[in-house]
Amino acid sequence: MIIGETSELLHCSTIALTIAVNSIGVGIGEGLAISAAIEAINIQPAAKNDIARISIIGMALIETAAIMGTTISTILLLDSRTHHASLYTGIAELGIALAICLSGFVLGLVSALPAQQAVLAVARQPFFSQKIFRFMLITQSIIQTPLVFGFIIAMFIKDQAASTISLANSLRLVASGLAIGVGSIGPAIGLAHFAQAACRSIGINRNAYNKLLSFTFISEAIIETPIIFALIVSLLLITTSIAPDDMLTAIAMLAAALCIGLGTIGAGISSGKTAASAAYQIALNPDNYSLLSRISMFAQGIIDTCAIYGLLIALMLIYFR
Amino acid sequence: MQETELLDSQWNLKWLGLNHSFFTIDVTTVVNTWIIIGLLIIITIPLRFILKKKESVARYLVTSFTSSFMEICQQTLGIFSFAHFSFITSLFIFIFLCNTIIVVPWLQEPTKNLNTTFALGLISFVYTQIFAIKSHGIINYIKEYFSPIFVMFPLHVLGKLATIISMSFRLFGNIFGGAIITHIYMQAVEGSILWETLGLISGTNLVILLFFGLFEGFLQAFVFSMLTLTYLSIALQDESDILL
Repeated sequence: MIIGETSELLHCSTIALTIAVNSIGVGIGEGLAISAAIEAINIQPAAKNDIARISIIGMALIETAAIMGTTISTILLLDSRTHHASLYTGIAELGIALAICLSGFVLGLVSALPAQQAVLAVARQPFFSQKIFRFMLITQSIIQTPLVFGFIIAMFIKDQAASTISLANSLRLVASGLAIGVGSIGPAIGLAHFAQAACRSIGINRNAYNKLLSFTFISEAIIETPIIFALIVSLLLITTSIAPDDMLTAIAMLAAALCIGLGTIGAGISSGKTAASAAYQIALNPDNYSLLSRISMFAQGIIDTCAIYGLLIALMLIYFR
Repeated sequence: MQETELLDSQWNLKWLGLNHSFFTIDVTTVVNTWIIIGLLIIITIPLRFILKKKESVARYLVTSFTSSFMEICQQTLGIFSFAHFSFITSLFIFIFLCNTIIVVPWLQEPTKNLNTTFALGLISFVYTQIFAIKSHGIINYIKEYFSPIFVMFPLHVLGKLATIISMSFRLFGNIFGGAIITHIYMQAVEGSILWETLGLISGTNLVILLFFGLFEGFLQAFVFSMLTLTYLSIALQDESDILL
């Protein structure tokens, strides 16, 4: 009996954590965005309509993290557990919580950064509000990629959790959630840092808009690379089947998840910071665009090699240990 | 009752001996998509006659919508191109109708099925790549994958694939989430007359439908078409402008 109750405890905590942790991040993020909007209205009262509209849309985009969390929570809640679920299903569901909570919390928090700088940029350039609005929309949508990946992995884990019958297999699913959850922290912070700098740069020099737009797309694709590595490891962990009593491989898989997850943090953050300073310099000096963008992309490529080492070792831990 | 059972069923090709789930068709999604296409036709044909009248509200609405989208396309692409304008605008109108069809009773959004959003993501990706090849030539297009050095090739390929996945799953996740929340609210309210009246009078029904149906649907359709437009503008730019 105690096993069934523990399983139920794990199930219910997963449901609660999934929405609660996401809501913390989203709540703080929305507060940051709207406080910046009020400050911006103070700076430039003439643009108050534009600023209000932009901040409301920005908040709706930040809300995505909470909507995804609610969706996963509800799917888990509605899933009727007619039979007495085994303890292993409960453990495997912790993977869902890891996948959605970590990425949702960080993204709810950092999605506010571009929205903040965008409203301040509108306060500086009131006649350029349309383009700044579209730029904020695009950058905010792109930085939500880690959350989308976490959502995909959570759905996959949900699909397999019910039929898990051994501890080794449930640890494999937890490892999958851990890889995408921890792996999304660094790239999310890096992407948001870059998007913040890019929105600020448009406020400084609106003539650099076209250059900054193309630079944004190339840089964000490179900053996103570590999270794609984490997604690959996660998907491999989900699709690889292991024997029910093969605990050693399961432990190696947990280590592989930690390896790729922690390995992407440094690469993601510093790659974002490199691109952020390049974007700022492009705004100050649009003529040097070609030199600055080339150096920045080259440096980002080198920084990403750290994540590639992490990926190599993670793959070896899964397959050749 | 009969209708819902018909709509929830699936069509398949088992009578041909094809037993894979790939050949199964989700009837709800397909029928709803057809209804939306029919609605588009029904709206469009009378508009041609309404537009001939000089002073009417419909004429004002249509012209202001069209001119705002023309302005957005021209600002983003640098030049005005009718082909790109009509592609982006039809993408927006179709996704917007797909997302907001939930305000009509008994209909469901086709975009809450992953197959629809994935198809939309593929359409926008293929369109962008075709025009990138057309404007730069196939050799320069392939060269871009190997820039700045050839080692970057896998990263470029992964990046392109990730754009399809993130675009289609972003649309799917938001609409699916909204649909689930609306569905739960409706289930909770439907049970008793008291709650139904309370929801109707206090306006909670309206607020939930407005936010998750109309506002979220509009926002996601706009985000999807703007992302496509911006990817297109990046693809059409001279690569000398980007890299050298």
